[in-house]
Amino acid sequence: MSDKIGIYVCECGPNISSKVDIERILEEIAALEDFRDKELIVKQHKLLCSVAGKAFLEEEIKANELTHLICAACSPRDHDSTFKEVCKKAGLNPYMYKIVNIREQCAWVISDKEKATDKAIQYIHAGMDRVVYQQPLIEKQLDSNPDVLVIGGGIAGLQSALTLAGKNRRVFLVEKSAELGGTSIHFQKLLPRQGSDTATRNRKIKEVNKNPYIKVFTSTELSKIVGFLGNFEIVLKNSENDSETELLAGAVVLANGFQQANPQDFEGYNYTDNDEVYSALEIEKMYSETNQITMKSGELPKTVALVHCVGRKEVGYCSKICCNYLIKISDYLQSISSDIEIIDLFQDMCLPEKEDQEYYEELAARVIHSQRVTGTKVAGNKLTYTGINGRETTIEPDMIILAPAIIPAADNVHFANLLNIELHETGFFQEAHIKINPVSTNTDGVFVVGANRGACSISDAVIQAQAAAGKVLTQLIPGQKIIPEVMVSEILEAYCTGCQTCLEVCAYGAIYYDAERGISVVNEAICRGCGNCVGSCPSGSIRTRHFTNPQLYQEVKEALRK
Amino acid sequence: MTKIPQRGALINSEKGLQNSLLTFLKKAAEKKLFDAIMLPMQVPSGDSFAWILIKDMQLLDEATPIAPIMPVNAAKAVKRLTRKGEGSSKIAVLIKPCEVRACVELAKLNQIRTEDIIILSYDCLGALPMQDYIKDPVWGKQEFSAILESKNWNSQFVKPVCKICDKFSLSASDLHFGIIDEQLLAIANSEKGETLLAGMDMKADQELENWKQYIRKIRTKRLASKAETFEVIKTKVAGFANLLDTFSECIGCHNCQSACPICYCRQCYFDSAVSKPNSDVVLMRAEQRGGVSLPLDKIMFHTGRMAHMSLSCISCGLCSDACPVNIPVAKIFSYVASETQKTFEYTAGESFGDALPMKEYKPEELGELGKLVQNAEIQEGGHE
Repeated sequence: MSDKIGIYVCECGPNISSKVDIERILEEIAALEDFRDKELIVKQHKLLCSVAGKAFLEEEIKANELTHLICAACSPRDHDSTFKEVCKKAGLNPYMYKIVNIREQCAWVISDKEKATDKAIQYIHAGMDRVVYQQPLIEKQLDSNPDVLVIGGGIAGLQSALTLAGKNRRVFLVEKSAELGGTSIHFQKLLPRQGSDTATRNRKIKEVNKNPYIKVFTSTELSKIVGFLGNFEIVLKNSENDSETELLAGAVVLANGFQQANPQDFEGYNYTDNDEVYSALEIEKMYSETNQITMKSGELPKTVALVHCVGRKEVGYCSKICCNYLIKISDYLQSISSDIEIIDLFQDMCLPEKEDQEYYEELAARVIHSQRVTGTKVAGNKLTYTGINGRETTIEPDMIILAPAIIPAADNVHFANLLNIELHETGFFQEAHIKINPVSTNTDGVFVVGANRGACSISDAVIQAQAAAGKVLTQLIPGQKIIPEVMVSEILEAYCTGCQTCLEVCAYGAIYYDAERGISVVNEAICRGCGNCVGSCPSGSIRTRHFTNPQLYQEVKEALRK
Repeated sequence: MTKIPQRGALINSEKGLQNSLLTFLKKAAEKKLFDAIMLPMQVPSGDSFAWILIKDMQLLDEATPIAPIMPVNAAKAVKRLTRKGEGSSKIAVLIKPCEVRACVELAKLNQIRTEDIIILSYDCLGALPMQDYIKDPVWGKQEFSAILESKNWNSQFVKPVCKICDKFSLSASDLHFGIIDEQLLAIANSEKGETLLAGMDMKADQELENWKQYIRKIRTKRLASKAETFEVIKTKVAGFANLLDTFSECIGCHNCQSACPICYCRQCYFDSAVSKPNSDVVLMRAEQRGGVSLPLDKIMFHTGRMAHMSLSCISCGLCSDACPVNIPVAKIFSYVASETQKTFEYTAGESFGDALPMKEYKPEELGELGKLVQNAEIQEGGHE
């Protein structure tokens, strides 16, 4: 009789002791003398989770040389890890211990003391039957990788990379197009009154390109990623020559940007490419390429209408930046010619930054004729707006410039699947918490910055980029060890038929198919032990350690005996 | 399924079905349209048939393209041919529509590689029950020849599942042989099939309308007798008492599971250690119920098997052929399968493109689950 099971019943102050007859538990459990040929040590304690309780438990494990431990106490959510730590300190493998919940499941829910005691005894018995089937598991330590993958070479991506590299962190910056800069590369000016101009942006691009800690991959997309904080395995694909690059990184900052909605997708905006109707982004491109804003004929427009809030009702949110950039476009126009008449049709004016209002008022006083409207329609070159008095007016300016809603980038869904992060109902990424954790996601080690989590200005993008870099620098510390989950799944080669059903249900991408052997295999560093694959396997060839069929069967069998 | 073909090529069938098919296959072999072919061949004793993978085409003379019995579902044989490693040769297989359907299911479970095979099928008149045949193989051969000869679609001698089979014609095969009275039509049903026909210098110039009508007529009759049979079988499996009654004769040999082409697990859960509890548990069960039948878990085995494979059950009837105590397993499983497949709007074996319901992981199915529960509640309410 070398095996010894220690069974310790916690009084939890009066929580358990007043509702359950602990003396009877001790008697009846101790009476199971020949329990599977194991020696039983049955004791009680006032509060096992207290400092004194933990010391008592540690001493008991050592003194009695326990091989198995049962703590009949509270919910595992409260103190499972507490007792595991005690086991480690006392030299007992923590997977040879089992907590039995006689508080929430017995004392707190059954008013009849006798019945509560009966149930507690049965559950402890079930725990004993399980614990003898448990096996010691050894935790491993992995080195964490401090490098960071930044996806997107726009303002947010550039800033993330620079801030991280500022602390000598190695950054892989991936941009799907051929050059860095993102959407704002098309802007001739940023908001001039805020002291930022294109030189600021170009300087950032230059800094990134010459920074020895940043490796830039242009014309490149993320094709595969598996892993977790500290240990992501990444495959990048070059879209020009289809070559693949494999990388390791510890965190991912996703800055894949946004897109501007097509106004023609919204009701009431009917025009063709031949009409003098432009989106703001088309004007930005035209101005940055030619230094001019002209009609299709090449002539300067005499009257220009600026239309705010195109598609706002449909998308259901304010795109935040449009009022500001329409004012900037007015600024472009008046710098081209002071004769251009600018009619500005807004529904609500959104000027959030402290200098925006002044910039607007200064231009409004000189060149912008602003008018509040409740709706706008475009038919060819004709623009109809509804005034606040409800009256409709149709005008035909030389040029109509629309500010369409900012909508999620088309690849948001792709990234959501690839990185296992949640999307908000608008299609933008969902923050872990919009106020207290705004650049984190539901997946540890993956951060979202810039306009992929909602429309944002350049200054907001920079703030978010720096915030995410801060998160990475504090969460992913060089030299830090990762202790991967040990309660992971394993596939028994002898029974696996290679049908790959488990690959479909694995939420972590932890299973791959080994064509050579014709079986599926679990990557233990990535597996989190959720058990989805176990449930899906038609052959019963997968088991999750510490939750094997015999272990569960023994426990359930005993719990259901009566 | 891809689009239903509109035209087929006429084959000379004066010498009877078996000979016409053999002539076609020999010609295709001569033209090297495939490197090997898998066909049924009589075993030396003459009492049964086996699947033979033929490389030496001289052996074709000894083959029986349409065997009177189905000792092994062809899908099991095809699995052995293609599961592991890439094949370098093109293998033709001539199999029944239910066997094609089993192949489709196994392909979805990655047990069969269809790249390596050309599947040929035919309008199937059914197969004789194994036990009837081995009692008197001479009678069996004669009776089956007569069925083929007279195109008897209503034979009383074929297996019970064959009598109610409505999926006896065009399936997901590459090339299908349509039977209409004295005519035999070769119908290409995929690119591979078209290549094969073209290689045979055969032109698909025959309209298929007559044949389709002919098949439709038979199918209508079959569907009616299927509905009738299912009405009866329903009562055998409704509720625990009836299940107990139906499966009480089971001797726990698990032959049905070994014969089933869909049961592809290397070890059945019901043969694993988990379903062999310790003796104290057996005693405990006896104590609770007053007595317990051994070997354990007969109903658990059958209902468990239903839960595991009924979505892919293709009603080939091999389970019944394999049952030594004549439990109507095939009819029962076929009925349950028709119900479970209806629930998932899925038809086993229909097309290589349909995803297996249990292999697809869709978050919106949680909503569907709610709907199912709701429906069940409404139905329960209806019984009151």
